[in-house]
Amino acid sequence: MVKDNSSRKSDLLPGTLEMLILKTLDRNDEPMHGYGIALYIKQISRDVLRVEEGSLYPALQRLAVKGLINGAWRDSDTGRRARYYKLTAAGRKQLIAEVADFEKVLDAILRVVQPA
Amino acid sequence: MKKIAELFRRIFHLRERSDFARGLSEEMQHHLELKTEENIRAGMSEKEAQYAAQREFGNVTLLNEDSRNIWSFRRVEQFLQDVRYGARMLRKSPGFTIVAILTLALGIGANTAIFSLVNGILLRPLPYSQPHRLVAITDSYSQGSIVAMQKILKTMDLGGYLEGAEFNLTGRGEPSRLYGTSVSANTFSILDAKPALGRIFVAGEDHPGNDNVVILSNAFWQKILGSDPNVVGQQIALDGVNRQIVGVMPADFQFPSQKSQLWVPLHLDPRNVGTYWGSGFMPIVGRLRNGMSIAQAHSEFRAALPQLRAAFPWKMPDSLWGGASVILLQAQITGDVQTKLFVLLGAICLVLLIACANVANLLLARGVTRQREMAVRAALGADRRRIFQQLLTESALLAICGGALGMFLAVEGLKWLKIILPADTPRLASITIDWRVLAFTASIAVITGIIAGLAPALFATKIDLTESLKKGGQHSASTASSSSHRLRSALAIAEISLAFVLVIGAGLLVKSLWELVRVNPGFQTESIITARIMPSKSFCASAVRCQNFYGELVDRVRAIPGVNDAAIVDVLPLDGRVDAFAADMEGHPRNPRDPAAVIFDSLIFANYLQLMGIPLLSGRALAPADSIPDAAPVALVTAWTANKFWPNQNPIGKHVKRTFMNGWITIVGLVGDVHQENLVSRYPAFVDGAIYEPYGVNQATGRPRLTDMTLVLRASNNQMNYGQSLQQIMASLNPDAPVGDVTTLRNIVTKSSSTARSTVALFSVFAALALTLAAIGIYGVISYSVTQRRPEIGMRMALGAQWQDIVRLVVGHGARLALIGIAIGIAASVALTRLMKSLLFGVSATDPLTFTSVSILLILVAIAACYIPARRAMRVDPMVVLRHD
Repeated sequence: MVKDNSSRKSDLLPGTLEMLILKTLDRNDEPMHGYGIALYIKQISRDVLRVEEGSLYPALQRLAVKGLINGAWRDSDTGRRARYYKLTAAGRKQLIAEVADFEKVLDAILRVVQPA
Repeated sequence: MKKIAELFRRIFHLRERSDFARGLSEEMQHHLELKTEENIRAGMSEKEAQYAAQREFGNVTLLNEDSRNIWSFRRVEQFLQDVRYGARMLRKSPGFTIVAILTLALGIGANTAIFSLVNGILLRPLPYSQPHRLVAITDSYSQGSIVAMQKILKTMDLGGYLEGAEFNLTGRGEPSRLYGTSVSANTFSILDAKPALGRIFVAGEDHPGNDNVVILSNAFWQKILGSDPNVVGQQIALDGVNRQIVGVMPADFQFPSQKSQLWVPLHLDPRNVGTYWGSGFMPIVGRLRNGMSIAQAHSEFRAALPQLRAAFPWKMPDSLWGGASVILLQAQITGDVQTKLFVLLGAICLVLLIACANVANLLLARGVTRQREMAVRAALGADRRRIFQQLLTESALLAICGGALGMFLAVEGLKWLKIILPADTPRLASITIDWRVLAFTASIAVITGIIAGLAPALFATKIDLTESLKKGGQHSASTASSSSHRLRSALAIAEISLAFVLVIGAGLLVKSLWELVRVNPGFQTESIITARIMPSKSFCASAVRCQNFYGELVDRVRAIPGVNDAAIVDVLPLDGRVDAFAADMEGHPRNPRDPAAVIFDSLIFANYLQLMGIPLLSGRALAPADSIPDAAPVALVTAWTANKFWPNQNPIGKHVKRTFMNGWITIVGLVGDVHQENLVSRYPAFVDGAIYEPYGVNQATGRPRLTDMTLVLRASNNQMNYGQSLQQIMASLNPDAPVGDVTTLRNIVTKSSSTARSTVALFSVFAALALTLAAIGIYGVISYSVTQRRPEIGMRMALGAQWQDIVRLVVGHGARLALIGIAIGIAASVALTRLMKSLLFGVSATDPLTFTSVSILLILVAIAACYIPARRAMRVDPMVVLRHD
């Protein structure tokens, strides 16, 4: 029957979405809302990484439950209310660890794929 | 650590859940709007931009749910949901729910009540400090032996205690009779008992000269002394002797039982050889010394036995204390009832199993009618595990309600148990429902819910979607329903087997009781009244005065209108008390190193034997002249004794003497045997014979001086209330001597079988419960089967079957189930009844009469249970049924 965490089509390895969100918030000093984060990832990756934008929200909640980001309501520039997310100290530490892990994996893949 | 922080975050989130949900929707809405704008800027039309944005975003509803699920305690929420749904479903079928809860409540409540007995008697630690260091030595020991043991044994501190010291209290209001215990000086400190007032006994206080002290019980202090805080140091007159009160014990101190109102030290006088070594054998309590184990104490004790036997001033048999051992004090106190309690607990567990089977049957039947509901739920997307969880939650709900109601039943049941069990059951009065019992109730409620609900839940989730949705409801002939029917039949058969075992147990016990009551105790029991006469020791210090008093008493009692005859005896039969002495029997010369015979001795006065209907077989009875101080010492011997020591000889003229005295006693008569100890055995195993001696002191032969005696009188009419007349006579003869324990001999005989009676009563209640539940079980299965087979019945009737054939069909089904159950039950009973052998008397554990009658009973019950379904089957109208299908 239907399961709760259905896997969705994504170009990303599992878990990297969260790392990207953390990095995004780290790069930009000021808090960002969901749309802003999605836009940033799209722009900086030059349109290569296209995330199903809705899947951002469960990812944001996962980060919030673990205490890695904090969300606060603010009035946005369009007049609507929106939640703006910010990195926490724990989040910053986690980011460094995740990036290190990711780079290790990347390194390994590159070595395998390297032309002889 | 991180997990804990996450847990807290989740908990805090609970408060703002609805805000969060709203906020999330807004957030996503906002995101979509911005995306739409971006698309518009990129050149799409408004409509296109919107669709594109939504496509890119994804399924909003699903994303919403996923996001919320990250914060929720999914398992807990599911469980609460299940509970709410389950409660609703149960409310919808109140009939089923009430029957199920009642059945479970009966099973759980009865189990809790019996377990509270097991807990209160066997499991609860004794109320002394470090109770696991307290030991007892089995068997009983004389004063001299105890003093010797205290010197010799190094592994433990020990002291003796003898319950049954009775005193007359005078000088504080009405004279009353007090019941107390004599103890070694160190017994209280062994128990580590702390007094409420004053102090406990100190070393040396059990020696003559120091022993005019007494410690009072809390109840006595409250009732007679009015809780006077200054009693310590005061004197009270017990048996005419002033004793100083040195302490008062707290209310919860009851040693050795709650009967003791006071404690006095033993009067250890080695010069009084007869008492010091020869009478008043008592039990011993001890405390292991530091670092010692029970095993060490036991081996030291066993190794010291030869030395202890040799300490006696005369030769004791080498078999003395042969089986004695050092055991935990708690084990000694509760040892006798242990088997009985476990048998009862086992029986009530069987009742619980039957109750579970009944509820499982009910659930299975209900499961069949709910097939449609299950199918719809499955079609809507519930997975099998979820439905299974929910059904199990439902049965857990039933079990919890049943447990709560059962708890209430158990409290009432415990009150009834305390009344019905014999009063001398150890620790009975202080049994309560404590935390262990509550934990037990909670656990069996949960286990019961799981056992009863497991199979039905499994069956209900085994559904074939299309079949059920098409057919649905009552007439489902799917495989699930027919295999559930097979399971229900199997459960009904199991119930019959279990009920069979229980009814067999009850039947065997009833037959035991019947055999016990039929035992001829050796004397007449009707129309005889007994009373304890207890003059003070100072009154009877003069033997002549004492004897004259009793003589006068008998004459005056005889003169009461309605009294046929009166007599005096020291100990009534079936009383259980045995006063015996070591004897030399004529014609059995004994090496001083060999053990002597142990002879039970009863002192009688006036026409005791004739009054009690004990036959005089040859020779003469005792006469008042035999009681005169210098009369020739004579005695009567019982048939069993004469047969043992002088087989085929005339016992008249033979002689007997106490080993440590010089005077020989002449046998002048032969009388019939009586049951002295209990209805099962005449005398304890260590007794070799019994004689009757005339009341009165005799120096040469060592006939003891006795103060307290029992008056027996035979009433000619059925009036049994002579208590007042007796009081009046006593008041004029000896005002300081209370009259106690006025009762009939019939009561005493009945009381001696009270343990057996209570066991029978309890077991019968269990058996009745089991039988009722099993009958309900059969009724359920047969009734359901009739419903299922209505088309078939209609067909048969249309084809010419008469009502007799239909009835035979239905009842035959029930009888078949019963027969299979009985067969299994017989096998199980044969295996299990040997566990209760020690409770049976005069009946074998596989008594054929009992087995046959119980089998017949069960078949009749099964047939009776089929009555209503059979009637329903008869009323089937073939036209209606055939048309309907």
